[in-house]
Amino acid sequence: MKGHNELVKKRGLSIRYKILLLLTSLPLITLTVYLILALRIFEEDKIAYVFDSSSRMSGTMAAQIKTQLNGVLGTTKPIFQDYLSQQKFSSVGESIFQNEFNLEALVVFKPSATGSYEKSAILEKVPDQTAGVLAQLQSQMPSYFAEVEASRRVVKVPFSDDRVFILEKVSDETNTRNTVFLVIVKMSEASEMFRAAMSQKLYLISTDGTILFGPDGTPGQKLQGTVSPQFLAHANKQIAQGAETDQGADGKELLVSYSRAGFGDLIVVTTVEKEKALGAVQILIRKSLIFFGLLISVTVILSLFASSGLTQALTQLFDATKKVAEGDFNIRVDVKSNDEVGSLADNFNIMAAEVSRLLDQTAEKARMESELQTAKTVQETLFPETQAKIGPLAIAGYYEPASECGGDWWHYCQIGNKIFLWIGDATGHGAPAALITSAAKSASTIIERLNITPAKALELLNRSIYDVSKGRIMMTFFLASFDLETGELAYCNASHEAPFLMKKGEGALKKKDLIPLNEVNNPRLGQARDSVYEQTTIQVETGDLVFFYTDGIPDIQDPAKAAWGEREFIKALIAANKDFPGVNESVERFAHSFQVHRQGAPLIDDVTFFVVKNEGLS
Amino acid sequence: MGKLDVKMNKAADKLTVQMAGTIDEDVDFSQFGLGGNPQIEVELSGLKSINSCGIREWIKWMGTAGPAQISFSNCPKVIVDQINMVDGFLPATGKVASFFVPYYNDDSGSEKNVLFRYGTEFSEGGVNPPASVKDEEGNEMEMDVIESKYFKFLKK
Repeated sequence: MKGHNELVKKRGLSIRYKILLLLTSLPLITLTVYLILALRIFEEDKIAYVFDSSSRMSGTMAAQIKTQLNGVLGTTKPIFQDYLSQQKFSSVGESIFQNEFNLEALVVFKPSATGSYEKSAILEKVPDQTAGVLAQLQSQMPSYFAEVEASRRVVKVPFSDDRVFILEKVSDETNTRNTVFLVIVKMSEASEMFRAAMSQKLYLISTDGTILFGPDGTPGQKLQGTVSPQFLAHANKQIAQGAETDQGADGKELLVSYSRAGFGDLIVVTTVEKEKALGAVQILIRKSLIFFGLLISVTVILSLFASSGLTQALTQLFDATKKVAEGDFNIRVDVKSNDEVGSLADNFNIMAAEVSRLLDQTAEKARMESELQTAKTVQETLFPETQAKIGPLAIAGYYEPASECGGDWWHYCQIGNKIFLWIGDATGHGAPAALITSAAKSASTIIERLNITPAKALELLNRSIYDVSKGRIMMTFFLASFDLETGELAYCNASHEAPFLMKKGEGALKKKDLIPLNEVNNPRLGQARDSVYEQTTIQVETGDLVFFYTDGIPDIQDPAKAAWGEREFIKALIAANKDFPGVNESVERFAHSFQVHRQGAPLIDDVTFFVVKNEGLS
Repeated sequence: MGKLDVKMNKAADKLTVQMAGTIDEDVDFSQFGLGGNPQIEVELSGLKSINSCGIREWIKWMGTAGPAQISFSNCPKVIVDQINMVDGFLPATGKVASFFVPYYNDDSGSEKNVLFRYGTEFSEGGVNPPASVKDEEGNEMEMDVIESKYFKFLKK
């Protein structure tokens, strides 16, 4: 359960939402970046366009104003010349004046003795009207004259209507006598154009910022009251045309274009509110946001649709892994897709099945090991005490199986006045061989009661083994009986390793003193049901030793898998028994020899040997 | 390639079998039929080992030869040991033509396998070993077997 809880804790944001987040954030970020870049370019382009169009308009208007005013002067100059030549208006001059519809009045000013200009002649369409006008301008006139003295030509719109006052200074050849002509002309069309401009505001101003023509309510006021263009602050530079962005008096940004009319100090100015000029950008943003919304909605729907298949499969897998964490390995997932998730599901199913199989296998193995352990315990009961003394015969043995159960078996028993000594080795080792040794032990228990010779005993044992194994497993065997009274050893060999009789002589035991008990040999037990066995006898004198063993001893390997070998085996046997020691000492010495070689390496075959010694009856 | 390599060559009435490797429970002699050959010569110098399960298979295999005269040549020690120990390992119609006898010198540790051939170094009933066997350094070598056990099969 701990593992299960940990599994649950690790679950954070669902993959479905991660996919959703990824698929929506990606186009959102991309489109936002695109929109910002596009808007910036669009805005710059739009401003450039507005500047271009408003500059063109201001230039056009400036040219038009200049043309109209030059036209007025072109008309009035013959009148000026006529007056200057005769010091009065002739009938020709008056005729020209009357024919010009826009001209309201023409007033001539000459310097007086004090230097100030005084009216000396007048032409007017409506009699006595001009006197009233001049009376209203009485206070401004000195400054007008001062300006015209300085700049020869001055244009004014003093009454904020469509009447334009042009003051023109004309000097004689010596430049000592100046005459100032005041032309009052109606410019209704021009005034209307400035008043009627819609998308952008048009102003006709003088250098000081005074608005001559403009939208309603603005003529006569200063342009600085609406906006303070930088070009007015640098009027001396006399730049003919330009455009700039300025802050309006109301705080709004204005796109300002200007063109000098080239007539007096007149300047045509256009202003456009930047916000209005860029109205299209706002529309673009609004439409883009709507498009974004639609796009994201479609993306979300598609993402949900696309991710549902994936997350459904993953959810199945997640649930399945939870089941596995809870110990249920029989869970399987049913994913139909052929992609990586499908492969993952297939692999999960294979893994779960394999784990399930391994668990079953492990349980089976544990059961078998338990059974083997039981078999080992049972088999241990088949072996006798490792040390015994029966009459003059001392016996000591050693047994170590290569695995839990072994195919070697040894035994001794007394039947009457004879000691029977049994040793056998079933084909192979392990549990199958152990079963045969068990059969051999069972049969021997009965045979022992029959008081028969070793040859007859092996004939019976052979039948027993054959009937049990049906020829599949055989057993080499050596059975001897020691006569306690005569010291005679009768033996019968069923193809087993011949034991060595070590006759006690005068000196130490030598190789040539080893007598293999191989005078008779017979088929292995279990090879054929009706095999006949022969036996022979040999005398075992007091002090003699007999070494019985199985073929696993020369095969003992060291950790490098080098076999001990027959030579070392014989050497160890001679060394262990050189002084004809007691059987316990003999076994201990011999076992120590092969353990030194073995160095703890596992056995490849069962190891069994025992030593008997005729110690005589003392 | 398995643990046992068997090459068979039949010429006229004689089947020559050459064996090398290990004979154990994994060996499958069924693919090497011996029947129908009056004479069989088995060359065993390359045989390294044989275990108890291999002995069972060997005896069964030899049984398929029927009445054929089988001659075993260049028998290594592992085969001679089995011939001596296992009744029936050498078929009733089988004869050893030659076998190796291990020699060694305990001082120098040198080892040598000397081939005993029928009619020269041995015959029925006994051996006639070389008077002297020396290693490459001229050291006298002695038999590395218990003679009464190793030559036992010659007395049968």
